[in-house]
Amino acid sequence: MTGSILFLLIIVLGGIAWFFGRVKANRFAANTTKRGAIHSRPNYHGWYVALWAIGPALLFLIVWNIASPALITDAALTSPAADQLPQDPFARGAILAEARSMAAGQQTQAFNPLSKSMVEPYKAAISHYRTLGMIATILLVFACGVFAWLRLKPELRARTKIERVTMMVLLFASLIATITTIGIFVSLIFESARFFSMVSPIDFLFGTEWNPKAVAGPRGETGFGAIPLFWGTVFIGAIIAMIVAIPLGLMSAIYLTQYAPLKFRAWMKPILEVLAGVPTVVYGYFAALTVAPALRDFAVSIGISGASSESALAAGVVMGIMIIPFVSSMADDSIAAVPSAMRDGSLAMGATKSETIKKVLIPAALPGVVGGVLLAVSRAIGETMIVVMAAGLAANMTANPFSSVTTVTTQIVQLLTGDQEFDSPKTLAAFALGLVLFVVTLLLNLIALRVVKKYREAYE
Amino acid sequence: MNSTTAFAEERNPTDWQGDAMQKRIRKRYAAERRFKALGLGAIILSAGFLAFLLIVMVGNGLRGFTQTELPVEIDFPAMTGGASASQFEGANAVANLRTLGVQDIVNTSIEIQYGEEGSELFSAGGWQAVNAEILNDPDIVETKATIYLPAESEIDVAYKGSGSASAEEKVAELKDQLSTGFNWNFLSNSDATDPMQVGIWGALKGSLITMFITLIIAFPIGVLSALYLEEYAPKNRFTDLIEVSINNLAAVPSIIFGLLGLAVFLNLFGLPRSAALVGGLTLALMTMPVIVISGRNAVKAVPPSIREAALGIGASQMQVVFHHVLPLALPGILTGTIIGMARALGETAPLLMIGMRAFIATPPGGIVEPATVLPVQIFLWSDEVNRGFVEKTSAAIIVLLLFLLTMNALAIYLRNRFETRW
Repeated sequence: MTGSILFLLIIVLGGIAWFFGRVKANRFAANTTKRGAIHSRPNYHGWYVALWAIGPALLFLIVWNIASPALITDAALTSPAADQLPQDPFARGAILAEARSMAAGQQTQAFNPLSKSMVEPYKAAISHYRTLGMIATILLVFACGVFAWLRLKPELRARTKIERVTMMVLLFASLIATITTIGIFVSLIFESARFFSMVSPIDFLFGTEWNPKAVAGPRGETGFGAIPLFWGTVFIGAIIAMIVAIPLGLMSAIYLTQYAPLKFRAWMKPILEVLAGVPTVVYGYFAALTVAPALRDFAVSIGISGASSESALAAGVVMGIMIIPFVSSMADDSIAAVPSAMRDGSLAMGATKSETIKKVLIPAALPGVVGGVLLAVSRAIGETMIVVMAAGLAANMTANPFSSVTTVTTQIVQLLTGDQEFDSPKTLAAFALGLVLFVVTLLLNLIALRVVKKYREAYE
Repeated sequence: MNSTTAFAEERNPTDWQGDAMQKRIRKRYAAERRFKALGLGAIILSAGFLAFLLIVMVGNGLRGFTQTELPVEIDFPAMTGGASASQFEGANAVANLRTLGVQDIVNTSIEIQYGEEGSELFSAGGWQAVNAEILNDPDIVETKATIYLPAESEIDVAYKGSGSASAEEKVAELKDQLSTGFNWNFLSNSDATDPMQVGIWGALKGSLITMFITLIIAFPIGVLSALYLEEYAPKNRFTDLIEVSINNLAAVPSIIFGLLGLAVFLNLFGLPRSAALVGGLTLALMTMPVIVISGRNAVKAVPPSIREAALGIGASQMQVVFHHVLPLALPGILTGTIIGMARALGETAPLLMIGMRAFIATPPGGIVEPATVLPVQIFLWSDEVNRGFVEKTSAAIIVLLLFLLTMNALAIYLRNRFETRW
């Protein structure tokens, strides 16, 4: 909490600095009668002082927060209680971590009696360094603020300087997306590498037995063959969901663009968009509560054996319905992009509307539609909640839609929501699955975007 | 040239009225009608599914907002040994209430009225309603009062519709005494193990805090990078990289963001698990690309004449952007932001990854305290075997959908209100 109070304090001091800078600039702006004698408006002078007051202090605060934990630990280790600590670095680290979180108030009970004795030294060190950091930060605010304030004079190019800083902020903001992408990639690769040091990538990618609970032990791991998961993902996301989504989405788009009266279209389009806005957890609940039992009863009544209450069909159908608006808007766009001369030509030759659509519009729009379908597939295989709630956990390689299958995303959730040990292949496997998912969806997206782009250029 | 005219002369004129032609035309028209009907059918099927989903949820969920109650007659003067109303006013009220032993009083009253097994008819924490009643109106402890307490979950389910056979029997016995009231607790309580005691306030508060963090991080970053990319960015490899990564991030599966949050925020930075802070950060990374993309479109739509006019009277590039372009593009950016936030509000999977699936019975008090959000709460309740949870889950879904619809309606309103034709 003290961190955010300090932060607020810096901001308030920055506001005061802004005010003083402005007052000084106003004074000499009023005194100079010569036009152009003052380079920047007083406002910019205010900002100049404020940025000097806030910037270095915030930078210092960040560096301090990174550096101080090590200093705190060092200080705590000089206390007499530290002499009893074991020499083994792992045990030592665990005790220190525990003492630390107790001192910070995040943990109330100690599992190791030794860590209790370390709490007091830790508390002392933390408060010592916290006070030190606070004093240094506030001194820095004042020093830099006064320094900037003294430098204010009519010919100071305050605006140029402010704009340079703003430019840096803009550039940094746009870099965040790239940093995030790199962050995703590095963290997935890093954790997957740890996983693959325990389980061979070939066993993982081509093995057919998925049973992470029955892990044999260090270096002898089996049960990490991910083929059944890949099959389940493809079966639900790329086969069943698409069998539902493609015809319904495509026909909806055709009707809305070619046949529907304007008013009908104005109403139906937002209604279809609501389908896309419903949270996936709601679809998942609906699939598990209503659709899956109904499908199971149906399967039992027509005599299909192995019908499960968690079925690939329930998850796939509901997912397909979720994706209808997505497919329909992609198809809508690419049909609209077909030059109307082609349509008019066909109609003028005497073809009916449906013949024109089937023989001219759809073939011409096909690359765009295919691109849209690829994007839809990528979305379907990355979808989590519906399959977690309705598809089941059994790693089956079956083509029977009434049986339970499991998917990559379901298993990621399963592996990471149990007990958390971050060195076991069980939890690390989730990152390897995540890496596969990331790479596959990325490839699908790139291909789809390229297809869509290429096609668009063809008519321009 | 000659041969084609010769060919045309040799050809018989088309017989439009002939039987064969009429038959062909009828067939083609029938195919046309079938195709059109197919299209209409597809739309109606899709919309019908949405309607079906909403009807099922509302049908199940509305009952979650009500609760079945049974009257209990409590003879306060006899049971409390003459407690006075003044004890339960002012600062010491809660402490005095604790020493009073309301739970025992309620249990004894229930036994007197409904017999030995009477307490099984009532929700386990129902006696707390009496606490609230006393604090609300202290005079009640000097009288003999009848208070309605929530019935046990099985009874509740059976009374509202279809319950187990034994519960149905009990309901038939008690039919005259059972009544239904609006379940205010559902709006003010948090998670609990007893479906009669659960509420959504804790999850809703967690959602609001998480959304707030998402907004204050994603919005400035999104707007600033949209401005940079549209107004300043030179066209080179470096900005291409930024552009590609933004477009890709918008299409990365949400669960991957959860893995990122887990690996970076929790394991690397050591931020607390289950906290709204981490949830907000993770969702912000997810929402940011949406804001950037819609922000860029809004900035692009501002006509160049505005920029040129400002530049012409001597504004700097930065002044043009921040004094003219940004205010004009803001409505469009806001629309995109609301849509992005609505998506983040409904998101569950990444939050499961960062541990927001714990049982949390108190609403979070700050950004680093354990919290849960509405969609995760729905997911957790959907796993409960107790039948009482079905209607609570659906009721929570109704609340979530209402929130989302409001946000989307706001976005549409903003779009229509500020849509400018230049």
